Amino acid sequence: MELSELQRQGSAIGDSYHGAQQSVRLRSKSVASNQNGPLFDWCSFPTERGEDGESEPVQDLRERPMPMRLKRAIREVQQMRVPVVTNWQSWKRSKAKSLRRFRADTEGALSSIALWRKALLNIGGQFGGGVQSYFIFLRFLVVLNFLSFFLIAGFVLIPSIVFQITSTNNTTVDSSGKEDCTVYDPNPQGLVLFYQYFLDLLSGTGFMEYSYVFYGYYNNTVADSGSFHYNLPLAYLLTCVFYFAFCLICIIARMGRALRIAIATGSGTVGSYSKIVFTGWDYGCQGDRTTKLKQKNLHYQLQLDLEEQRLQKKAASLTLGQTVGLYSLRMFLMLLSITLIGVAFYCIFKATVFSQGKNENTGLLGLIYEYLPSIVITAGNFVVPFMCDQIAQFEKYSPSTTIIMALLRSVFLRMVSLGVLLFSLWSSITCFDNLQDCRSCLYNHNQYPCWETRVGQEMYKLTLFDFLITVAMLILVEFPRRFFVDHWSCALTRWVGRQEFLVPSNVLGLVYGQTVVWTGALFCPLLPLINTLKFFILFYCKKVTLFSNCRPAVKTFRSTTSTIFFLVVLLFGWGLALVALIYSLAQIHPSWSCGPFRSLETMWSIVPNTFYTLSLTTQEFLFYMGSQAFSIPLFISSCVVLCYVAALASVYGRSVDLLKAELKMEGRDKHFLVKLIDEQRRKMGDRVDTFDTGAPN
Amino acid sequence: MFYNPYIVFFSCNHPSSTFFPLSRLFYRYRDLAPQLVPLDYTGQPDVRLPYELIGSMPELKDNPFRQRIAEVFSEDGEGNMTLDDFLDMFSVLSEMAPRDLKAYYAFKIYDFNNDDFLCKSDLEKTLNKLTRNELTEEEVRMVCDKVIDEADLDNDGRLSLEDFQHMIVRAPDFLSTFHIRI
Repeated sequence: MELSELQRQGSAIGDSYHGAQQSVRLRSKSVASNQNGPLFDWCSFPTERGEDGESEPVQDLRERPMPMRLKRAIREVQQMRVPVVTNWQSWKRSKAKSLRRFRADTEGALSSIALWRKALLNIGGQFGGGVQSYFIFLRFLVVLNFLSFFLIAGFVLIPSIVFQITSTNNTTVDSSGKEDCTVYDPNPQGLVLFYQYFLDLLSGTGFMEYSYVFYGYYNNTVADSGSFHYNLPLAYLLTCVFYFAFCLICIIARMGRALRIAIATGSGTVGSYSKIVFTGWDYGCQGDRTTKLKQKNLHYQLQLDLEEQRLQKKAASLTLGQTVGLYSLRMFLMLLSITLIGVAFYCIFKATVFSQGKNENTGLLGLIYEYLPSIVITAGNFVVPFMCDQIAQFEKYSPSTTIIMALLRSVFLRMVSLGVLLFSLWSSITCFDNLQDCRSCLYNHNQYPCWETRVGQEMYKLTLFDFLITVAMLILVEFPRRFFVDHWSCALTRWVGRQEFLVPSNVLGLVYGQTVVWTGALFCPLLPLINTLKFFILFYCKKVTLFSNCRPAVKTFRSTTSTIFFLVVLLFGWGLALVALIYSLAQIHPSWSCGPFRSLETMWSIVPNTFYTLSLTTQEFLFYMGSQAFSIPLFISSCVVLCYVAALASVYGRSVDLLKAELKMEGRDKHFLVKLIDEQRRKMGDRVDTFDTGAPN
Repeated sequence: MFYNPYIVFFSCNHPSSTFFPLSRLFYRYRDLAPQLVPLDYTGQPDVRLPYELIGSMPELKDNPFRQRIAEVFSEDGEGNMTLDDFLDMFSVLSEMAPRDLKAYYAFKIYDFNNDDFLCKSDLEKTLNKLTRNELTEEEVRMVCDKVIDEADLDNDGRLSLEDFQHMIVRAPDFLSTFHIRI
């Protein structure tokens, strides 16, 4: 299908060229030459091609570069020719036309109610595609989280509330044995000071701990009343798994859309200079200031490209000794940055272990101890990239490579620091260093009477802290900075200047936040909702800071490739969360005292247990699906489909190259023919001359 | 709002002649010079707004290419536009116009000497308008050489419409930048 579209485009280019040639003559020469040559084939009949017969001539007409008057005249002529069709065909045509109109109207209506459409257009117009792609990405995450919350609410939260209210008619499985493991008392005793509620809200303890927010509140209810049967633990587990699958599908669908554009426009090296010159100017730019900034931006881009070329030429002309020196310097600096990152990881590990050990402090000090891992991670995320940037100045890479290296380092730092936090949590829960504590309950029940809630609380604190830091930065750093730069002019403020909206680091912040939510979703079911609210408020905060405090960036990000980059990093975060999920589901023993899995060996074992209660035929069917007789042919057929799609992609690539070569050939043919015509004319001219001179004699 | 017979006639017969809702554009056109543009267009009056009025529209007044845009879309080639030309212009510059159509008109805009080729002088003028004359002569020359190197397929030292369209196909940002929101 897309191949035929390519061919049609190829012929349309040829067509429009011919039409264009004549229409150019029409516009630049006098009106009298209007009658020259057929601009449009008046004898062409609007041919029917299936149901699209009606739209084809109309589309063709709109897309032709002709003046409006001519298009109108042609359309009148077309409408006068009524094709003779049967009743059935005319009914089909009118139905097809109304269906098409309905579809177009629906699409228009849907796009007009899209969330924040005007705001995004405004941002794109004033700050360009790169910044706009950040906000589009943020909107995507808001919608993703909102829909996931519906999934979780529908299958876990609402049944849980219903079963809690109608607490008759259900059977709770008693967990016998292991008396000391089932001790869990999260409700605060006695008088609670009023500010304790605020501290509890911030750290997820106290009144929040034993509530729908965290895992510990949910019971292992298996409702069984007559025909209605609802297994809450199974629903909890499967909802979480489907939540991950749903997010994966959304991300891949979005990536597919972006990749299709990138592949269709050719994989060869696209000329960056011609792109800047011909597609760099945004015609939607309005306002004197924006225009001047855009021009400065383009100037800077061109200078940057020229500079990069000069550097490349210089790098190519280095002697062997200089090359060796440069590479060894780069190796040393890379080791230095890795060491820095390693130091950050060690600090996070130590801080987490320390914070886990300090449960008893209350008040502000207790709050700081609770938030210690988050504080260390955030500090690391500020300090380490800054120092790596300083190091990168000595590495002497070209500007674009420097940006990519900095991004890779930041991604690595953020994701792996989250991984280190999780690792340190789990090593305390499963008693890595002190196996005595885990002997009786298979997990550290002294420190963690309900370890899942604890993990959920950590993720909740990370999310909240991230949000608070962003708002605090906005109020305490960005607005004052703009105030000082605008109203004081000394050397310092001129050097610091107004803030620039850095897209990559902001996007990494979003990806980090989303990864935290994915990791914590199993332990804190309301976390997607909290995250939706957080990102929703974040959109407005970032918009406010963008318009009030930032100047348009001089270095811009290419928008299409950056969408793919954002989604790849998001996928990387998803993978990390998936590893965490699999480990929690399959390895660690669930708490005895709380949660829907309290009597099971691992969380995953609810699935086999329920499986064996199914009817025998269903069991056999599912066994067959998992057996070799079924899965090997399935695997083989999916390999075949994969090979087919890959072959199709390569065929398209080759046909794109062939069409390019054909275009080149046509140009050369034209030159050749024009030269032939010139020669012929000259020869005819000479012959006429000799004729003339020969005759009278 | 009035009942405008021209718009009704126009929209009844040609609901899809442009990519755009028509009456909004008509009122924008009229607002430029209410004393020149009649409300009733059924007689198809020959009204032509001078370039100065078109160039003063907020969407165009800061665009460095506004004169070329007006010249390309106007019938007389001088920038004085009739309603048809006006509608044509915003129709092509809307987000729904197809890429080939936009590429064709973009080519015309950048072709300052109207010879159907983008030669070096055209590129130099384009570049100077893009960067507000801030690049040095040397840099302008280097960039023009690079552009012709990259985009010229038939090796004649200048860009024809096919070279231009071929290059546009590989630049996915073109559709979003060659777009005026009105």
